[in-house]
Order: sequence, then structure tokens, then C-alpha cells
Amino acid sequence: MKEEKIALRMVMPYVLIIVAFVVLLLISNIVMSFSTIDGKFTFENYKAIFTDNVFYKSVFNTCIWVFGSVAGQILLGLLIALLLTQIKRGQVFFRSVILILPWATLDIVAGVMWKWMYNDMYGVLNDILVKIGLAKDYIAWLATPKMAMLAVIIANIWKGFCLSGMFFIAGIQTIPQELYEAAEIDGANAYRRFWNVTIPQLKPVLITTLMFTIIWTINYFPLIYVMTGGGPNYGTETIVTYIYRLSLRFLEYNKAAALSNILFVIVFTIAYLFTRRMAKEVAA
Amino acid sequence: MRRSTKKKIMKTVSYIMLIFMSVVIAFPFVWLVLTSFKTYQQIYSYPIIYLPKNWTLEHYQKVSSLDFKSYFLNSVVVGVGTMIFSLLIGIFPAYAFSRYSFRFKSELLVSVLIFQMFPMVVFLVPMFKFLDWIKLLDTHIGLILAYIPFTTPITIVFLRSFFLSVPKSLEEAALIDGCNRTKAFLRVILPVTLPGIAAVGVYAFLFAWSELLYSMSLLTSKKLQTIPTFLSVFVGQYQTRWGPLFAGSVFATLPPLVVFILLQRYFISGLVSGAVKE
Repeated sequence: MKEEKIALRMVMPYVLIIVAFVVLLLISNIVMSFSTIDGKFTFENYKAIFTDNVFYKSVFNTCIWVFGSVAGQILLGLLIALLLTQIKRGQVFFRSVILILPWATLDIVAGVMWKWMYNDMYGVLNDILVKIGLAKDYIAWLATPKMAMLAVIIANIWKGFCLSGMFFIAGIQTIPQELYEAAEIDGANAYRRFWNVTIPQLKPVLITTLMFTIIWTINYFPLIYVMTGGGPNYGTETIVTYIYRLSLRFLEYNKAAALSNILFVIVFTIAYLFTRRMAKEVAA
Repeated sequence: MRRSTKKKIMKTVSYIMLIFMSVVIAFPFVWLVLTSFKTYQQIYSYPIIYLPKNWTLEHYQKVSSLDFKSYFLNSVVVGVGTMIFSLLIGIFPAYAFSRYSFRFKSELLVSVLIFQMFPMVVFLVPMFKFLDWIKLLDTHIGLILAYIPFTTPITIVFLRSFFLSVPKSLEEAALIDGCNRTKAFLRVILPVTLPGIAAVGVYAFLFAWSELLYSMSLLTSKKLQTIPTFLSVFVGQYQTRWGPLFAGSVFATLPPLVVFILLQRYFISGLVSGAVKE
């Protein structure tokens, strides 16, 4: 009883400041989404969203943006983690250059840096691609919807893979060395050891990382905002950039609030599906 | 014998691949640094000039002349404020979560996990209205207040895992020796977990340091604005002034880069034990 009192007193500031604050913001969003400009109750905002072509476009774009970024980040992160756990000397150097540098780069800096490299005339990327023979001609990266989407995904993989890389490094370090030795005695080669030891052992970390990466990518906004602003022709408009545009460019706060609530539902459904699976696996 | 040569080959291949990856991944940033030392003539040259022909400091001088120092200091104020408040609010619940059982514990833990899933952009308008209502719009303390719902939950997640990693027996020994709980916490737990706490604090600091959307929208007076807003001014719809933009970017990225590199040990272990154990 006494312990409970101490604990509750310790949690109180968090409840009073953070929980109350977030709940207030949430309620404010819900109220706004059901209000007209004069403050009357309405379903119009949701109706406006569901009859809006840009909304469907932004959902589609968000799926591509998330799929491309997450697949790239997880694969690259896994590769880097595997390589970094193979070596002993030079850890600090390689970690600094490969994992820390993209992470420490400010969002806006990453955005403008890639935007400049993608420049169709003076961009270094086109020059390199042509020189090594991967492209015949200069590519107008940010000018067409499809290439622009590819461009922002590549930039996002660069910016974000370090987090999954760090998760995987820690995950690999917890795998008991004996498992590898036993597999080696059984005659498993490196390829087989990877699929039969590393991947199954890494599965819990893999699932957690997948969940966080998916949700963070859905929510991640500055890179697209700086590089394309959602264009060209809504080609890189995701749900979050559309919410931004609705509220700060078109000043349609109530419609933006409705879209925000729809986004919550999507994000929490994903989180729920993942955590339920994890709970099941723990129980089994 | 065969096994050891195999291992050697694996190691060599790993090193070769890592060196290749380092070059590819560092390149964008190296390119940014190189560009910041080029004159405009060389920035817009065709064909592209890779190394600056005569290194120039003109863009750095330009950035300094635009009162970059004031933006830098504002960023430090907002960053330190966010760090202090996140730690102050987060450290006690994190400790309670790791040591006690109490009513609503699991509900509160779930709230911590859910809160880090809210995209910042969806709260922008309500946040604006709220800060306007309590008269803190366009103040540093208002911006800090806007940041802590996003930094505190993650602070709690990390700190909880640090506290969990300290064996309970350490504290119990201190309690038997006559320390009260506060003393036991200050003398036993805090010293052991200090590096982790510092790492989490730096994380909150850097969150505020690089945040663009809220700082741009909630601070309208020029003399209060932070570095990301300063940089965003150079990005135009039709023309971007790459020179000063990149010079400012180098200034802005160096502090977090140095701190991250120095603290990387704590970050990687802390971040991971926090997220992986959940």
C-alpha cells in the first residue's frame, strides 16, 4: 500500500502534464473534425475526405512510400549489422560513418542535400550515373511523379536505415555463439547458418523493428516536404503531407482534423496487429 | 586450418564491403561540405567540378553575417529546455515502472508506447490554438511545451530499461545500510545509470534541435527562431541559395554529429535495450 502511494506520486507529473495534454489535443481534434466552421455538428468533413480524389491518391502513395522505404531500410540495416558484427577493429569508425552520420544529419539538411544531388542539370547523381554507364542520359528525378517517389524513397532509406541497423546489431549480439558452433559442426555453411540460426533468433527484434519502422515512416514528413512538397501533380503526396497542406496551405482545419483521425485509426490498427501477434508468440 | 582461412576470407570480404558502403553513405554529406566551399560559378558549372578549385569561405561569411549565432543560441535554449523537462517528467515514472507494481500500471505503460506513434503534424493546429489560449504562442517555453509530449514517452521507455538493468539487490543493500529511498536512488541507481540518462537527454535535445515543422509554425518572431527555420529561408520555390544553405547546414550538423559519435556506445545499447525489450 505504501509502495503504491510512492509509485503513484512518481507517475503523477507524467499523468497530469503529458497524458492530460495529449488527451486534450486528441479531443480537440475529434471535436474539430465533427464541426462546421461556425461550430455546428456535422459529418461533412469526413464526407469531404472520402469523396476527395487526393485522399485516395495520398493513401496509395503512403503505401508505396512505406513499402519502399521500409523494405530498403530493413534490408540495408540487416546487411550493415551482419557486416559490423563480423569485424572487431574499426567498429567505432564504421559505426560513425555508416550509422551515425545519416542519423545526426538534420531532416531539413538531408532534404536539401538530396534535392541538390537530384538536380537534373547540376546534380552530381546524374553525372555519376552517366559516367559509370548506368544511365544513358540525365534523368529528371524530381520532375515526374514516379521518379520523384523513387527519389524521396532513396533519400529516406539513407536517412533512416541506421535505426534498424542499430536494432539488428543489438539483436545479433544476443544470439548465443554456441548455436553457430553447433550448426557449423553439423556442416551448415554460412548461408545456411544465416537462414537457420540468425533469422529465427532475430525474429522478435525483426518484428519490433518492422512495426516501429512502418509507423515512423507513415508519420515522417520533413523529407518529402523539403524535396518535393508533395508534388509533382500529387505524385509524392502522402497522408501526412496532405494533412499539412490542408491545414497550413488551404486552411481547412476541420477537414485536416478528420483526416488526422483517420490516420490515427490506421496507425493504431497496425500497432494493434503487431502487438497482438507478439503477445501470441510470447504466450505460445 | 581450413576453418580459420575461411574466417579470414569472410573478414576481408566484410571489410571490403564496409569500406564500399562507407564511401557510398558518406558521399551525400561529403558532397554537401564540398559544395559549401565552392563559389557560385563552380556550384553551377557544367560539366560538374568535383573538388573546389579555390576554396572559398564566402558562404560561411554570408551565414555569419545573417546573425546565425542568434538562431544557434535559440536552438540551444529550446534543446536544453526540452531535454531538462523530458528528463524531469520522465525519470520518476520510469523508475516507478521498473520497481513498483501499482494500479493502472499497464495502462500507463501502453499510453507511453502509443504516444510515440502520433505524427506531429496532426497536433499542429490544436497545439497552435492551445498555446495561443495560454498566451505562450511565439515563446521558447511554448515551443518546449509543444515538444515534450513527443520526447517524454520515449525518455520513459529508455530510462525504464536502464533502471530494469540495475539489480534490485543493489538498492536493497543500501536500504539495509540505513539509506532512505531517495538517498538509495541518488547514491546507488543514479551513478550507475547516468551515462544512459545522458544519452536519453541528448536524444531529446537533438529532437528539438532538428525539428522543423513546429518551430517554423509556432515561433513567428525572427529573434526567437531556431536553426531549421533559418535554413528553410534559403529554400525558395523557384530559386534556392545553395551556398549559404549548405554552409549553414554544416554548422548545424556538426554539434549533433560530434555528440553522437562520442556517446555512440550508450546510444546503441540504450536505444536498443529500450525498444527491443518492449
